[in-house]
Amino acid sequence: MHIDLNSCFAMVEQQARPLLRGRPVGITNRNTEYTCVVAASYEAKRLGVKVGMNFHDAQLLAPDILLVESDPPKYHHVYKILVEIMRSYSPHVTMKSIDEGIIDFNGTEPVNRRPLAEIGREIKRRLHEQAGDWMTCNIGIAPNRFLAKTAAGLNKPDGLDIIDHTNLRQTLSKLGLTDLTGIAERNQARLNAVGVYTPLQFLDASADLLRRHVFKSICGQDWYQRLRGWEVDDIEHDTKTIGRQFVMDEMRPNDETVRARLAYLCETTAVKLRYKRLAARGIFVYARYASGDYWYERRMFKSDFFTNAELLRRATLLFNRRPADGWVRELGVSCYGLSPSVQNQVSLLEEINRETWLTEAVDTVNAQFGEFTITFATSLPAKGIVKQKIPFGSTRYFELLCNQA
Amino acid sequence: MDNVTKIEKDVNIVAYYFHNRGPRLRCFPKAMEWNGKRISFTETGLVHPTKKGQRAIHVFDMTDGNADYRLEFDAQTLGWTLVSVADIGLSQNAPNKKFEFAH
Repeated sequence: MHIDLNSCFAMVEQQARPLLRGRPVGITNRNTEYTCVVAASYEAKRLGVKVGMNFHDAQLLAPDILLVESDPPKYHHVYKILVEIMRSYSPHVTMKSIDEGIIDFNGTEPVNRRPLAEIGREIKRRLHEQAGDWMTCNIGIAPNRFLAKTAAGLNKPDGLDIIDHTNLRQTLSKLGLTDLTGIAERNQARLNAVGVYTPLQFLDASADLLRRHVFKSICGQDWYQRLRGWEVDDIEHDTKTIGRQFVMDEMRPNDETVRARLAYLCETTAVKLRYKRLAARGIFVYARYASGDYWYERRMFKSDFFTNAELLRRATLLFNRRPADGWVRELGVSCYGLSPSVQNQVSLLEEINRETWLTEAVDTVNAQFGEFTITFATSLPAKGIVKQKIPFGSTRYFELLCNQA
Repeated sequence: MDNVTKIEKDVNIVAYYFHNRGPRLRCFPKAMEWNGKRISFTETGLVHPTKKGQRAIHVFDMTDGNADYRLEFDAQTLGWTLVSVADIGLSQNAPNKKFEFAH
């Protein structure tokens, strides 16, 4: 069962602020003129506002649109309610992002004796009761994750649909290729090249054709099984990189401003590393300039690191090698070569111990009195400017984000 | 853009109401006194917890039909703070004022 909250952030804001209900609302990460809409209410979507659209375009389409700055603790509250409801039906719950998750009912038959459609309706009712009257969700029920997600997208908002062997062909006949999750323009072009123009033709294509001629990899076999209801997406990926990036808030930032933002990004990246109990050996720093030029440098070090000071020192080492000409428009820091942290292991080198203990002390103070109570002096100018964004792809840092919000 | 005025002032909640949300009876603000005026809330939007360090804060999003009010209840000091007021221009008596953005 795939559960998807409808226009989640916009709907949560409309739930929190009744005067916004029935009005076109857009959620942004910053209240500036150059911001873009990260979520839109159904009223705004009906007027053509799309996610990712900038403020001016959204205002042209919907002159009455009200842009509201995102408030992660609110979304976290609704997320927790949703997870709690979902876990009451099965221990196998996977959250794909803040606003969507999957309940795997496989093996719960002795407990859940009711039809899944009835359980779906009950989930909708419980969400209403616990999160608020305005909250609705789409529910899709199918033999695998892909078809369940497809079913959840059939009748928005507040839909409940089932795809099984009896209506699979009928359902796919109403869709286009790009309506399928995972098929965008490039994959569509690949399929078109072998004469596949509709999802039904995609379903009828042989595994050999998909593997050898369309996707030219095992992905073709996966698609063959996915379309037939076999589960091939039940995979968890390890964290490979941890990082942060920021688009400059000033058109012509001086060196001090850029370094303040870099220090802040390093600090928050190191906090993320320790939150995941990881240490990194590699670091990647990039800058995009106003001219459109892109610079990056990466280095794998012999020793691993997880403290704020060490990450900043190594990032600065790379950052000092950038071309000095031009205005920096975007900045990013990313750590790779991740391994479980050995923070608890006392080092033979006193200098390393002192830094580790200092970091632990700072973390303890910040946990007690709020994030960034103790912070780098160099990153102070960026505090309040570089804000935590809503994580779209995963909920790995959601608790951390809410503490920092 | 959203017209949000940041207030950050302690206020008195002068009336409460009780509602059976979930398994227990819960308490919500009904009216507050602010700037010498009594504001009666007509609807509770969303109540959610948050933290400031180790302190638990309960955030109440309330409306009186003309503006949305964000109230915080500090579970440690048992005090109420009016954090911000959002006016989307529905009130006919709304002051003709350019609001600042809340941070």
